[in-house]
Amino acid sequence: MSDILRVTGLVKHFGGLAAVDGVSFAVEANQIFAIIGPNGAGKTTTLDLVSGLLTPTAGRIEVLGSDVSAATPAQRCHAGLGRAFQVVQPFPEMTLRENVLVGALFGTPGRTRADAERRADAALELSGLAALADVDAEDLTLMQEKRLEIARALATEPSVLLLDEVMAGLRPAEARDAVALVKRVRDSGVTIVFIEHVMPVVRDLADRVLVMDHGKVVVEGSYAEVTQDARVIEAYLGKEEVA
Amino acid sequence: MSASTRTRRTRPAQFPWDLVGLVLLAVAVAFAPDLLKALFGRASVSYLSIATNALSLSILALSWDVLARTGQLSLAHAAFYGAGAYTTALLARHADVPLWIGIPLGGLAAVVFALLLGAATLRLRGIYFAIATLSAAEVLKAVVHHLPTGIAGGNAGMNVPTLFRPEFIAGQMERWEVAFLRNEAYFYVYATLLCMTVLASILVQRSRLKHAFTAIRTNEEVAGVMGVRPARLKLLAFVLSSVFVGMLGGVEAHRVGSVLPEQSFSVSTTVLALVTPIFGGLYTTLGPIVGALGLSSVQEGLRRVFSDGYLIGYGVVLVLSILFMPRGVVGLVGGLLRRRGKREAGR
Amino acid sequence: MDTTLLVQALVSGVLAAGLYALVSVGLALAIGVIGIVNFAHGEFFMVGAFLAYQLFVTFGIDPVWSLFIVAPALFALGAIIYTSTIRFVLKAPELNQMLLTFGIGIILQNLALLIWGGDPRTIAGITYRGIGYQIGGVSIGLVPLASFVVSLVLVLGLYWMLARTPLGRAMRAVAQNRTGAALVGLEVNRVYLVAFALSALLAGIGGVMIAVIQSPTPVVGFAFTLKAFAIVVVAGLGNIRGILFAALFVAVAESLVATLVPNGDTLRNAVFFAIIFAVLIRRSWRTA
Repeated sequence: MSDILRVTGLVKHFGGLAAVDGVSFAVEANQIFAIIGPNGAGKTTTLDLVSGLLTPTAGRIEVLGSDVSAATPAQRCHAGLGRAFQVVQPFPEMTLRENVLVGALFGTPGRTRADAERRADAALELSGLAALADVDAEDLTLMQEKRLEIARALATEPSVLLLDEVMAGLRPAEARDAVALVKRVRDSGVTIVFIEHVMPVVRDLADRVLVMDHGKVVVEGSYAEVTQDARVIEAYLGKEEVA
Repeated sequence: MSASTRTRRTRPAQFPWDLVGLVLLAVAVAFAPDLLKALFGRASVSYLSIATNALSLSILALSWDVLARTGQLSLAHAAFYGAGAYTTALLARHADVPLWIGIPLGGLAAVVFALLLGAATLRLRGIYFAIATLSAAEVLKAVVHHLPTGIAGGNAGMNVPTLFRPEFIAGQMERWEVAFLRNEAYFYVYATLLCMTVLASILVQRSRLKHAFTAIRTNEEVAGVMGVRPARLKLLAFVLSSVFVGMLGGVEAHRVGSVLPEQSFSVSTTVLALVTPIFGGLYTTLGPIVGALGLSSVQEGLRRVFSDGYLIGYGVVLVLSILFMPRGVVGLVGGLLRRRGKREAGR
Repeated sequence: MDTTLLVQALVSGVLAAGLYALVSVGLALAIGVIGIVNFAHGEFFMVGAFLAYQLFVTFGIDPVWSLFIVAPALFALGAIIYTSTIRFVLKAPELNQMLLTFGIGIILQNLALLIWGGDPRTIAGITYRGIGYQIGGVSIGLVPLASFVVSLVLVLGLYWMLARTPLGRAMRAVAQNRTGAALVGLEVNRVYLVAFALSALLAGIGGVMIAVIQSPTPVVGFAFTLKAFAIVVVAGLGNIRGILFAALFVAVAESLVATLVPNGDTLRNAVFFAIIFAVLIRRSWRTA
């Protein structure tokens, strides 16, 4: 039972369209697990299904061995799933600390206020936002917003952190910072599942890579394995610009 | 530098303005009737009644604001109010239930209705939520209207006994003092109810609920993913919001002496519940109260100056306030203070 | 069940739907194009009704002709209100917009109460009001029929304008993407102004019709604001095309209940709101 997240036969229909069509994968503890694929492959939908924002048409999702397929997003968060969004969505009326504090207060049930505040400060520290803690979340740069997105998710104390294209829109130097941040998070004991378009980032970070296209899994393996795969080259690398 | 700001923000060592304010409010209302009597004599009877109306509006507005903090813009407050009023009236009429039980049961009836409504509307947002709650309130009004006349009086409503009947003692008091004593007693009941509402609001603002409510209001999905349970907390806000309005309806039924479908479920109750916090300043404890006192004064002043059509002036005040103080009275004053603070800090 | 009664109820419902659609489509225009939830919308309707009444009383102008005076007058009123207030709150929170339009509604309603008082006002002595047709036991009044036809023509005309004319295309462009529309050189503010004024005009025309059909009081406006809101919401915000069907659905249901249920006339409003409530709740729980 070393699989920390296990997804089996996940299906999601929107009307007649199958956005996710029988996806299965398993993530081991302390791995960095990448999901790649062309636009419209169903990657974000998969993450939405895992974190409970969408209800699957069929399939099973287990976190740390317990079935969360029918759970609400909050229950899944309590079970150990953290989520950072592709489109960053801070709570603009709050300061950074308050944003993170929401995750710390509610991410793990039964935590005291003082404990949550310590946890929030630790998450801000780890994400490199400690100096900005009292700034309102509406006046941030994109990089800062992405850091906040990660800090909030971390404050919930997840076992698995789902990251949706955290590198999108970042300049190369910022992307390097972000890669370092993701590694720091993993080293703090959090398993990571991330969606990414930038291939060098996937190469630098991922222990395992899942390739999706048209809602289905094309192949799963190490970075070297999947990039050698003929179907991947055809389905994904062949069509998309590879940096 | 960052360490010092952190300790300042983290430790709740800030001066508890909210609790001190509540105590000041309690003291002020405790002495208000005697003060009014000393200052205005006979005229204090009607002033006390006006003040009671202002307290009533404060309770309504603050209750509405508590629910609005979760992003639920209710247009059902007339229904909470009416449910409380009718429950209290029905209990008084058919079961001779003592008023001190009837009024809390009025609050309970409002809570039951609010929970049903809240559960049904959990998935609705913004204007859809608003219209759904308005519709539910109108349906409840019609149902009450069409209850058999023998039960709830139909269109003609019911009479409700008054809570207080001070006796006239010849030689010891003047005639008008009887009315004063009655109004004074009601004033204290309303003041108590307001203090309870304020306390509930303060407790929300001081606890983790404040953050949860704000999170749900700004982005319910993200809040859920961060472990906040939106459904549960939205229902909790419904309960907190409806209980005081329901009791208010119950008390007011006794004060007015009757309940009527059109009066107890009036859309204008809903409208006042919404307008007042926006005028005063949303999502705070102080704002709705400032709004209620401000709007009551404006309305009373206008009524005295232009007897007919004074509501035109009221509308003008609303329009001007939105155009020139979009964050309400409290937001405007707070902004000015902060700007002055910054200027002084810059010196 | 008496079939004639049923058909009569259906026919009355369909005829009423025209006016409902006309008033609602203006509101939908304000919400869809400008993004303003206009709580004063019904007051435009009320102002239209009382202008028609006053034109009749003072100058003896028949409501049919006063349409041509009321329509531009309401367009102007809408334009004035937009320019003096609405345009300053376009980016404000929804609640502020609601309160602003609410205040405008209070002003208009109480001005009307001051001028005309609270009693119902009837445009007396119009000969065509009594004209009606009997088809197989079902009676159709000329006035409701005419108001239905005029409303339908106006609503379809609006649809055509949105679909085919440069102004309509501009409105749709602005509705879909405010910044984008500004980038391609559309004068967003001008489009908003016209949309808001047009929405007032449509409501005003509806008001002229109600002045003939019923004997309105100045508080009729708010009731119609609520009905229009309900229809807009049932159609789905921003779905201007759906208005016609939503209005039909709501008006027919209302009429059926008023006819079929004993004592139904007073339950009319309750049914109306119960339908809206049920539709909204059902829709919200169906989509996951």
